[in-house]
Order: sequence, then C-alpha cells, then structure tokens
Amino acid sequence: MKISCGIWLVLTAWLQSAALDFPATLREIHAPADVKTVTADFEFTNRSGKPVDITKYDPSCSCIAMQIENGKLHYAPGESGMVRTRFDMGNFSGTVDKVVALWLDKDPEDKPSVALTVRVHIPILVALEPKTLKWELNGKGEPQTLHITMHYDKPIRVTAVTASSDSFRHELKPVEEGKSYELIVTPVDIKTPCLGIFRIETDCQIEKHRIQQAFATIRRSSPGDAVVKP
Amino acid sequence: MKPWRQLAVIAVLSLAAALGTYWLKGPPNRLFRCDPASLKPDEVCLATIPAGAEVLWVDARSRAEWMKNGVPGSLLWNQDVTEDMQAFEAAVAVAIVTTPRVIVYCGDENCGLSRQIATRIRALDLGAQVSVLRGGWRALNEAGRTRTTPVK
Repeated sequence: MKISCGIWLVLTAWLQSAALDFPATLREIHAPADVKTVTADFEFTNRSGKPVDITKYDPSCSCIAMQIENGKLHYAPGESGMVRTRFDMGNFSGTVDKVVALWLDKDPEDKPSVALTVRVHIPILVALEPKTLKWELNGKGEPQTLHITMHYDKPIRVTAVTASSDSFRHELKPVEEGKSYELIVTPVDIKTPCLGIFRIETDCQIEKHRIQQAFATIRRSSPGDAVVKP
Repeated sequence: MKPWRQLAVIAVLSLAAALGTYWLKGPPNRLFRCDPASLKPDEVCLATIPAGAEVLWVDARSRAEWMKNGVPGSLLWNQDVTEDMQAFEAAVAVAIVTTPRVIVYCGDENCGLSRQIATRIRALDLGAQVSVLRGGWRALNEAGRTRTTPVK
C-alpha cells in the first residue's frame, strides 16, 4: 500500500509541478531621459522532469515586441531558453511597469503560468510640485505657488504657460533661469467649484519632456481626503 | 494485493468520487468570485458597488477593447505609447471634479495595469478616492455591467 500511495503522490506532484523555472521574473532598468526602447531578457530552464510547451504569449500592449530564443516553443527536461522583450517607451517618464504573460501546456485562458515584469525608471526632467493646487470652496482665495524644477545638466527654460480656464490668474517667476521657476496661481472666484489645467511649455531638447501639465481646483472636501477604505 | 492493482483501485475510486461530485453539484463554477478577505488595501469587489453608484470608471485596457465593451460612461487611460497621456490626465481630472470616486479596471484579476493607472490618478492629487476593481472587466462583464454595443 505504501508503494502505491508513493507512486500516486509522485504522479500527482509530477503533474502539478512548476514547469519553467525563471531565476528572475522582474527586471529593473534605469534608462536615460531620452530612452526610446528598452530590451530585457528573461532566462529560464525546464526543471519539471517532463517536456513543456509554450503555447501562447501575450505582450498585453502594442508597445511590446516579444521573442522566444530561436522561436523554440518546446523544451525537454533540463533544457534552457530565453524570452526577449523589447518595449517602445513612447512619452513615458517616471516609473513604468510592463508585464508580459506566458501560457504553458494546458494553462487556462485566464491563468497564465508566468508573468514577467520589466520596471523601467526614466528620469523626470521637468518636475512640478505640487501637481495640483487646491482651494476649499468658499475658503480663502490666497495665491499658491507651483514649483517647477529642472533636473537636467543643460538649462531648460519655460517658454509659455497657458491656462484652460479664466477662473485663475497666473504669473510665472524665474527663480534661476533654466533651472527653477515658480508659477503663482490665484483663483478669481472661490465660490464656484472649478478645475483649471495649466500647460507648461519648455525648450527641453528631449521632446517627450517638453510639455507638462498641472492642475488647479476649487472644490468641496472629497472622499479622497479621508482615509481610504474600500 | 500488488502495487499496480492498488494503484488502479485508488484511481478508480478517485474517478468515481470526481464523477459523483460532478453529478451531484454540477460542473465547476468558473465565474469570477471576489473574496473580500483577500483584497489588497486599494481593491474593491464589484458586489460592494451598486449598479447606480456615482463612480467614475476608468478602463485601463486598449482603446479597441474599451470601445468594444467597456463600462458605459467610462473613461480610457492605458499605457499604450500611441496614446496621449496628458489627454488622459486632463479628461480624468475634469471628471473627478464632479465624481471623486474612481475605480480602475483592466482585463481580469491577472492584469496589473489597473494598479499602475490608479497610482497615476492618485499622483494627480485631486482628492479623489481611487480603487482598483478585483476581477477587472471579467467581473463587470459577468455582472452584465459592460457595453454590449461597440462605440463607433
């Protein structure tokens, strides 16, 4: 009986065992500010003791090109391979996660066995602090300051600031030309809820960092101001 | 009894038990089930959001999917490089003024994109309460809360 149970357990374990072993499923990349594409490789080995087929892979975004080494989709026990992912970074800056999924053997459609993540850190050259200026409805309509700071080895100048709404007045003040600016914003009427969108244009050589966006809002206190409880 | 016979007996008994369960209880329920106990701090189950609730739904899937079967009235915000991120920001910011309760969804429970978009919406600092829907579009679709006619 012990032998039978032993065989049963071994069979069960064999059928359920993890198929491909990826030493790392997360790759972090610190990219330059002008990055256009990022490539990350994920190596793997079949340690399951049985052949494994990669039946499907889904890049989840049109910006991802995915390639399996030599187009090989069948891996015998002990065999190794590599998944190469290439990402078009478009206009992204800051931290971006890109995930690709792999389906093995008979994985259900909604449960891929493997999720590979590439985390790309792209410097923010034009930093806005805060992103949003806020006034309480019927409160004090005093001026507030939005700080614009350049994080680049060459000067970046603010060339224009335009507002979407007449409900706010704004004035741009250089603190250090090409390095740091202040945008002073004052609400015209504090008795009406509204949102203003400020478009901040710069002469940054890298196009994707050239135009930034900030907000100003007059509002009642909202649920997000309280502790978030789902 | 020889081991292989014992093994055969175990296999037959297991099969009989499986068939009996199928016969008594029917096929396995493959509908998405949201377990409140396993929710992450920023997640919500669809069952806690009534159909008429004042919620700004944000779809983190592709534009084609959103147009085909997104939640009626939802806004799109994904990370496709062909899209204009500042336009997404502006559209969501304008909507938050009147609807400060925001729930982001993507394809299903395996999709991590909705959390990234939720983080970006929180970073706007507009005072919105931003959550991620556990189960994503799959849960919404199974509850009959998605669009059945594509947007043209």
